[in-house]
Amino acid sequence: MKLTTLEGMQSEIFVPVTPKPVFTELKKPINECKVAFITAGGIHKKSQTPFNTSGDFSYRTIEFDTPSSELMVTHGGFDNSDINKDINAMFPIDRLHELLEEGFIGSLPKETYTFMGGGGNVEKFSNETGPEIAKKLAAQGVDIVVCTGGCGTCHRSATIITRCCEAEGMSCVVIAALPPIARQQGAPRITAPHVPIGSNAGAPNNIPMQTAILKESLEWVRDCPSYNGLKVLPYEYRHNV
Amino acid sequence: MSITQETLKHHLKDPAIFCCRREKGTVIGAADLEDPGLFEDMIDAGLLTLSENALTIEQVLGSTLLTDVEALTPITKVVLDKVNQVETVPVPTATVKEEKERTMTSSTYVGGTDMIHVSIDKLEGLSLDIPVGVALAGGVQVPPTVAVQENKGEKHVIRKLIKKHIKIVDAEIGNTTSIKDGKITIDENIVKKAAEEDPLCVSLKLDVIRPEERHIYTETIMDVCPIATKIEGELGEGITKVADGVVFMLTGVDEDGVQVHEFGSSEGFLDEKMYFGHPGCADENDIIIRCHAVIKRLSGMTRPGPFAAHKCQDYIIQAIRDELKKYDGEVLREEVCEDVRRKGNPRVVLVKEIMGQGAMHDNVLCPMEPCGVQGGQKNVDCGNVPIILTPNQVRDGSIHALTCIGPATKEMTRHYIREPLVEGLAMDEELDLIGVVCIGSPQVNDEKLWVSERLGSLLEGLDIDGCIITTEGFGNNHIDFIQHIGQAGKRGIPVVGVSFCAYQGQLVVGNEYATAMVEENMDMGGFENNVAGCSCVTKEVAVRAIQMLKNKMAGVEVLPAPKKWSNDVINSNNKLMGLPETELLDNGTLH
Repeated sequence: MKLTTLEGMQSEIFVPVTPKPVFTELKKPINECKVAFITAGGIHKKSQTPFNTSGDFSYRTIEFDTPSSELMVTHGGFDNSDINKDINAMFPIDRLHELLEEGFIGSLPKETYTFMGGGGNVEKFSNETGPEIAKKLAAQGVDIVVCTGGCGTCHRSATIITRCCEAEGMSCVVIAALPPIARQQGAPRITAPHVPIGSNAGAPNNIPMQTAILKESLEWVRDCPSYNGLKVLPYEYRHNV
Repeated sequence: MSITQETLKHHLKDPAIFCCRREKGTVIGAADLEDPGLFEDMIDAGLLTLSENALTIEQVLGSTLLTDVEALTPITKVVLDKVNQVETVPVPTATVKEEKERTMTSSTYVGGTDMIHVSIDKLEGLSLDIPVGVALAGGVQVPPTVAVQENKGEKHVIRKLIKKHIKIVDAEIGNTTSIKDGKITIDENIVKKAAEEDPLCVSLKLDVIRPEERHIYTETIMDVCPIATKIEGELGEGITKVADGVVFMLTGVDEDGVQVHEFGSSEGFLDEKMYFGHPGCADENDIIIRCHAVIKRLSGMTRPGPFAAHKCQDYIIQAIRDELKKYDGEVLREEVCEDVRRKGNPRVVLVKEIMGQGAMHDNVLCPMEPCGVQGGQKNVDCGNVPIILTPNQVRDGSIHALTCIGPATKEMTRHYIREPLVEGLAMDEELDLIGVVCIGSPQVNDEKLWVSERLGSLLEGLDIDGCIITTEGFGNNHIDFIQHIGQAGKRGIPVVGVSFCAYQGQLVVGNEYATAMVEENMDMGGFENNVAGCSCVTKEVAVRAIQMLKNKMAGVEVLPAPKKWSNDVINSNNKLMGLPETELLDNGTLH
């Protein structure tokens, strides 16, 4: 058997390395913290311009008093049925208000920012969108930023933005349906429930699961010992598409 | 951070930079030098500036420092007692060489357990003949009793498929469905019956677009599907008729006019929205029968909605298939496809990662008719587990793509019936293509890993010498893709990965086995653009991938990729292989 070989060929695709650490230790109890929730999952108000599903580095401003019924998803990277049923499956805004009422968290900022991270332009997210969102959250006195990804490249975009927030002095966690991406891309902290992309914050209409994922992610912000720490959460949901 | 001797060997030609402050009198070794792999990041971070008179690592090894030098400073001749003379090596040129015959080494001995132990490092086509009743004295070294019969890769045909390409010169929508004198006529009323095939389909509309009429508005292109039908035998064998010069194009919106799309849509003028001539697309002179589906509100991004459009279109195509079976028109060419075994050649498989996440991320496998829907099983319903097909089955339309991801990187139904990697590997006389493994990409991380492990066991069981793994799209499916590469890599199986990555789809994860990778991108900005079929496996991609696989199997180095996507690397490989340049499409895409 003979094989024809050719010297000088070069691999055409670069394999990534994890970027430098960024970590802001949480110095307050959670119940005194102002907690923001951002998402790369394509959530916006029904009245706002939908995202461009093939890649979009713009973001939408969502006031935290927006009723969840006024929110919707525009995202091409996963089956949307779960979010169509319950927006909290990606952006648990109702759960956040409940945690506030319960006294588990100290406060919510007036507004937060959402984006569609699918296919996200790395440089734009790193150098424009990320720093801008981070500054706006920091200006509202936010202590903790919780973030959901969405699809694969959403996890990359979500991680980029949380890294910007972390660098701006906030303590962040990515709730990852795809933890390998959050790890490789250098998320400061990661929690990983066993959920499909498209229901990253827990099964639709499953309030106990969504609440538990959110609470334990907040606790991981407090307890995570060092950069890029991952905690697997014991919640499992299989989306029967 | 200093580097190891091992790292040093790979970077002899790279600039020599001190990792830390070094004092006068230091004799330079690996421990004094920074890892060149980090230079790009350091330059980006403003920590390092390379100067033109910086010496290379091989020039400075063993030299003595004449003065103190700070960290991250390029080493120049003025600070050294001597500079090593090195030979200048010419830029690699295309040197094709044939690997020497595979060497076989074996040893035979009798072990302490009264067993004959035969250890063979590398061998093809072993044939053992051991006489019955051979008695051996324990502990006695015996001469080899192995008779080796060498297989030389002779072709053994398992089955044949003949694809008869039937000349079609025109198509129209009329009042009966027929094929006559090279013209397809489709009954205009068929759309009503077809739409009743699925309750999620609201309506269907047909029209014919001739090659000269392509500057016409189209809704997003969901699929391009050939008209092909079985005349004799099952999929992958016997005789198939394929209508030549005509394809179906499925487009779709929902009741609100929302495009049925995922990662970007391709609505617009047809002549600007399809990469004509690419494997999944219509060819330059093809007549396009457009089937436009309207599906229920909000069903576009769920699994049943897009499927309804495909299923209903298939009802229409089936009516034409039935006519094609009877039609006795001109045969343009007979394409003979063979499933073969070439024992003695390296055993290889092609792994096609297809989607499996609901919405349009699904595929129908092994339908009753080529490229059909009916009778097939959905990849998602099969649990996304690896399923092996013969090359002929793939070439006979065993995969109907429900088409996912963005327009540019999705592999449409027509792609699979003429997949360049399947064709290239099957025809290659130096290889033995064992099969084509289709594997889905689940939406849950744990399931991705689970499915990938099944692939690993399959590859091991198939006892292959090498594999090529492709994926369509980018993003989360790259987790599976890299896992698959790892499953092969950790078993010592040479592996080549093929994907769209470029700028927008740059890998989100990686591992140490992803060292021979082929890029599919053909967009100027390196983005998923909105031109259907732009960045997929082309003939050129296939040729480069197969060559890289041969290099890997023969132990010929594939140089590492640069840290950023560059089309120059692709073109340099093209040049080495005598392939045309990969010209990028300037589509103005910048998201």
